[in-house]
Amino acid sequence: MLEGVVINSRQHVGLQKLSALSGRIRSSVGPFKNYKFIQDESSGDSVLVCSCFRIIENLEPTCAVGQLVYETVRGHHKQYHTGSGCLLFLAGGWSRAALDSLRRGISVKHIITAMSEGIDICLDVCKKFSVSFKDLAVMEKCTAAPGGTKKASTDASIEMANFHDKCLSKSGQRKVKLSRHFCEAKSDMLSTVRHPDQPDMIVIAESLSHGCEKAMKLAVEAAQMLLKTNQQRIRDPLFDISKMLTCLVSGLPEDYACVVEGCILLLSDEQAAAAHVVKQQPLKVALITGDLSQTYRHLGFKSLPGEQCVCEDLDLSVSSKEDEWVDKVVKLLLNLEVKLILTAGLVSQKVIQHCCRHQILVVEKVNSSVLKTIGSSTGAIPVNYATQLTESCVGDGVNVEIWRDLSSYERKSLTAVNISTGRSSGLVTVVVTSCVHGKLQALEDQFWACAYRLYHALKDRALLPGAGGAELLCVHQLQKQAEHDRVKDSKTGSAANLYRGLVLQLMADGLIDYIAAVMVNTGRFTAANARTIVSKQLTEFHRDEISTEKFLQLVSQSKREDAGFSAVKPDEAPALNIYDNLSVKQEAWRKALDLVLLVLQTDAEIITGTGQKNEGNLMLL
Amino acid sequence: MHIASYLSSLMQMSRLVKKSPSVCTDLPLNSSDVCNKLRLMKELLKSSYGPTARLKQVHNNIGGAVVTTSTSSVLLQAISSSHPIVSLIKGSILNHVSRFSDCGLFASVFCLSLIEEAGRCDLSQNVIIRVNKHLLSLCTAHLQQEDCGCKVQLDFCSSQSLITLARSVISSKPTCVLSEPESAHISRLAVQAFLLTVPCNIPDKVRLGRTVTIPMEGHSVLESAVFPGLLLDTPENISLGNLCSPLRMVLFSASLAGDLSELGDGRIEVHQGVDTDSQIVDQLLELGKQVLKDEVKLFVCQKVIHPVLQHYLRCNGVIVIERLGISLMEPLIQLTGAQPVATLHTTVPWEAYGEVHVSVRPFGSKTKLHLHPAGKTTICTMILCHRNETMLSELKLVCQKTEHVLRLTLREPCALLGGGCTETHLAAYVRHQSKNDVSESSPVLGCSQTEYLLAGEAFCRSLESVATSLEHDDGASLIDLTHAHHWTLPSDATEEHLEDAAALCGCGVVQSCQNKKWSYLNTEYAEFSPEPLLTASPLQPTVLDSFTAKVNALEVAVETANLVLDVRYVIQDVN
Repeated sequence: MLEGVVINSRQHVGLQKLSALSGRIRSSVGPFKNYKFIQDESSGDSVLVCSCFRIIENLEPTCAVGQLVYETVRGHHKQYHTGSGCLLFLAGGWSRAALDSLRRGISVKHIITAMSEGIDICLDVCKKFSVSFKDLAVMEKCTAAPGGTKKASTDASIEMANFHDKCLSKSGQRKVKLSRHFCEAKSDMLSTVRHPDQPDMIVIAESLSHGCEKAMKLAVEAAQMLLKTNQQRIRDPLFDISKMLTCLVSGLPEDYACVVEGCILLLSDEQAAAAHVVKQQPLKVALITGDLSQTYRHLGFKSLPGEQCVCEDLDLSVSSKEDEWVDKVVKLLLNLEVKLILTAGLVSQKVIQHCCRHQILVVEKVNSSVLKTIGSSTGAIPVNYATQLTESCVGDGVNVEIWRDLSSYERKSLTAVNISTGRSSGLVTVVVTSCVHGKLQALEDQFWACAYRLYHALKDRALLPGAGGAELLCVHQLQKQAEHDRVKDSKTGSAANLYRGLVLQLMADGLIDYIAAVMVNTGRFTAANARTIVSKQLTEFHRDEISTEKFLQLVSQSKREDAGFSAVKPDEAPALNIYDNLSVKQEAWRKALDLVLLVLQTDAEIITGTGQKNEGNLMLL
Repeated sequence: MHIASYLSSLMQMSRLVKKSPSVCTDLPLNSSDVCNKLRLMKELLKSSYGPTARLKQVHNNIGGAVVTTSTSSVLLQAISSSHPIVSLIKGSILNHVSRFSDCGLFASVFCLSLIEEAGRCDLSQNVIIRVNKHLLSLCTAHLQQEDCGCKVQLDFCSSQSLITLARSVISSKPTCVLSEPESAHISRLAVQAFLLTVPCNIPDKVRLGRTVTIPMEGHSVLESAVFPGLLLDTPENISLGNLCSPLRMVLFSASLAGDLSELGDGRIEVHQGVDTDSQIVDQLLELGKQVLKDEVKLFVCQKVIHPVLQHYLRCNGVIVIERLGISLMEPLIQLTGAQPVATLHTTVPWEAYGEVHVSVRPFGSKTKLHLHPAGKTTICTMILCHRNETMLSELKLVCQKTEHVLRLTLREPCALLGGGCTETHLAAYVRHQSKNDVSESSPVLGCSQTEYLLAGEAFCRSLESVATSLEHDDGASLIDLTHAHHWTLPSDATEEHLEDAAALCGCGVVQSCQNKKWSYLNTEYAEFSPEPLLTASPLQPTVLDSFTAKVNALEVAVETANLVLDVRYVIQDVN
């Protein structure tokens, strides 16, 4: 049965849904986010969410537009891990712009053309005003020169500095002094860390932290550790983010979060006992990609439904098939002298017991990238079944260390081990801790957002003026173009550009709304207040006809603190430049507009199947 | 109340319910319900027609995937109606689309318009059917003529007209959200892929190759590319180190997963202590040994390969690819000359092996294994990239459609003017012809002259309504009274500004000028014979339609409409 919902063109339902959905995340854009509880009324379960992506994920939108939104946001999050809120918010803002245009009688065709032009203007602005690493390096020198040292503001950065003086270069290019510890760095073992045109990673990281200073600190530490271990191999300033892992530990205060070289895994009681035996000695390792149980079969294997076992004589002494299998596996492992097994799948309880008895440590649910990395650094070849193992599949030289005994913090015992290879496997684990179990996910998300922001910045080798700067410039440019169209129209007397000007103006309003929402979320501005500040800033822009250099100067002087865009609280003195990722923002904007244009052009839903839903405007075919 | 209903239900239970008799409906087209359904269907399809179409979201309301599209094949497949007439139309259009890929929406809108117009003019169905048939033959005869005004010959010496044809198909689907340079890029790629599938040295029988499409989400459209040969997904960290090309390869169509799936649901009895699994693994390893002995370096299986066999082969330096999928089997066979092996229980015959060159090609974050033969190949791979899944899946559909349309040009190397110009031209031609031959044709068709003219008018209006359907933004559709091309006037422009507002006709061949006369498409105008365009250089239309697909769509539409008009009774089994 087909049912069609006809969407009234002037009151486009799809666009309204999109706008409503984006309204859900209004309070979660920008660096100051509030936690939200999302409760499932039917089951009573609830989750604590913080990021925009998690909100949409947990809302599980069922309407067609909602699913389109979720699909888009999920795709973006998978690739960038940041910027989902910006995407969704602007999709909402621009869908309101489209709705407004429709209400004023502008045809869909004109809206599409004008909005496509609008996004081209915005992307162009981003490209033009992006700050390349070269410029940043120059700016660093300039800011460092007159005042001598900048005072490090928090203990955190001193701590960070303490760590970094070990691994940062003393290359002559670097002039910025974040603290006195930095300048006295004597280490010369890593003189290739910095490229001449490469600005300091810590400076970049700080300007990209967007309110998650702690998470960013971890990300920087992890990135530098990765760079350090891989330094001999590649002289690339970009770190390999696939070698970064997270380990979530609940029950420890958040300050216990740290970065550890190697792979931290949590073990149960029995496994821990085995770990204590095998610790601190080079071990032979086997890697299994499937489950470690007798009933496991590889993907795509169809077991016979009609298999029957025929016995000729009754033999009650025969042990079960599983016992036979476990014995076989354990014997094989002992023969191969394997002391550590890492599996991507699950391990049956029986196998764990048997292995522990023979002092073999079995760890389940290991990330497949860990298997790959350990495999390549020890020479172990991952196999699907334990029975497949031969001498050549077994790797050598893995170390197991008891990293922490966490038993005292939780009722059930828990031990964390560090699995590493002597020849620097290049894995780095970030341990994320929290006393509140429900918060762990949010903290992990924050860490990944920071890590990916840093990663993309290094990849782009350029940054975008942050704290609403890029958006303001786009608004300025869009308004300029709109004004230009209006003037042209009044001169020629035609109405050809009238629509375009109007749509561009509405698009600019969407961006202003975003800046205002971010400012309101800091809690220091009312909505009206925020808008006044934005418009004040804009008139300034319009008056001085800013150029690229001027803007860069503006950014470098960081005089906009008083305008209140910064995420830094006013009582914290240091003037810090805030930047955004270039590619992430461009991609998020473009995806937001794609969403709006797709929904704008949709005029009906075709509902297939027999889903019962009584709506007034359904038509049956 | 409660007792009453309980009693009645009891009575029903005790009664033997007879099968209810079939329901017979007389003259289904006279029922308003059917008319409403047909109108809804027409609105649905009409609004999806053309490059500025409105899109439809197809979903099942219980959380299934949402497809945003304006492609007839997807839309019609989603429609399932309780009424046989709707199903009849759907079936015949889908059949057309499966054979020609293009012009599905044209056929549906034209067919539904014909049915609607027939209901409007007060004529007997028989007369309309006969006149429709006559006018259809008039149209097809005209289109087959050498000097037909809406036909252009395709020039295979340059790729320009092919690219224009491809671009018209690609830009007709707004779900792809392509910018100008992007659609130009994809059109070029489509033509490039098409040309690669045409064999160079022609034996007695020409056999076209295949284009394999690989969608890749998250990249820019401009990163899309075409490669000769095949690109396959590879297991990670493959090294071709000491492999010398060409490699000997073997291709299995049987599952090598180590199960006994070919036994079906039958029962099997095994003695205790017999391990069927390990016996099959032994058999597989036996196979592996033979293949190694025969110096095979590339081992491909359509289905799953048992990990033990994979491991064994990899350790011996063989590249192993599993889960190739049925769609890649035929191209791979064509490319390598290998014969697919359908069992693991015999030794692989020597003739079954194929040969192929192999290289590794990184694409985005993935590494692909590039297979290409030593000589020329007619197999190519098109990697399509787009920012999101919705747009990418539509782009994939459109590219497959374009490939088909380009292939059809080999059968008939011509195209029709696009942008609605063919429809308006045909309408003007039919109107003119039917006025001229009214005295001869009406007796042959067994109707009066007035009836003939009325039915002819309905036919022409239906054709014109297809051209009108291209406009979705309240603009007006016009026809010029010299060449009978199609023009659109935006809703905000007045007729006086026509020259500025519409500089070119729908297909881009005719330029507007001061002394041109126009008429709105839904109004009456004096019939005239469309003048051919006299230019020194060959026509350079910007929009082209597939000739073969459109001619067939025209026939399908008229024949389906005639069939629907001919339906007297609908007999439905309601049990």
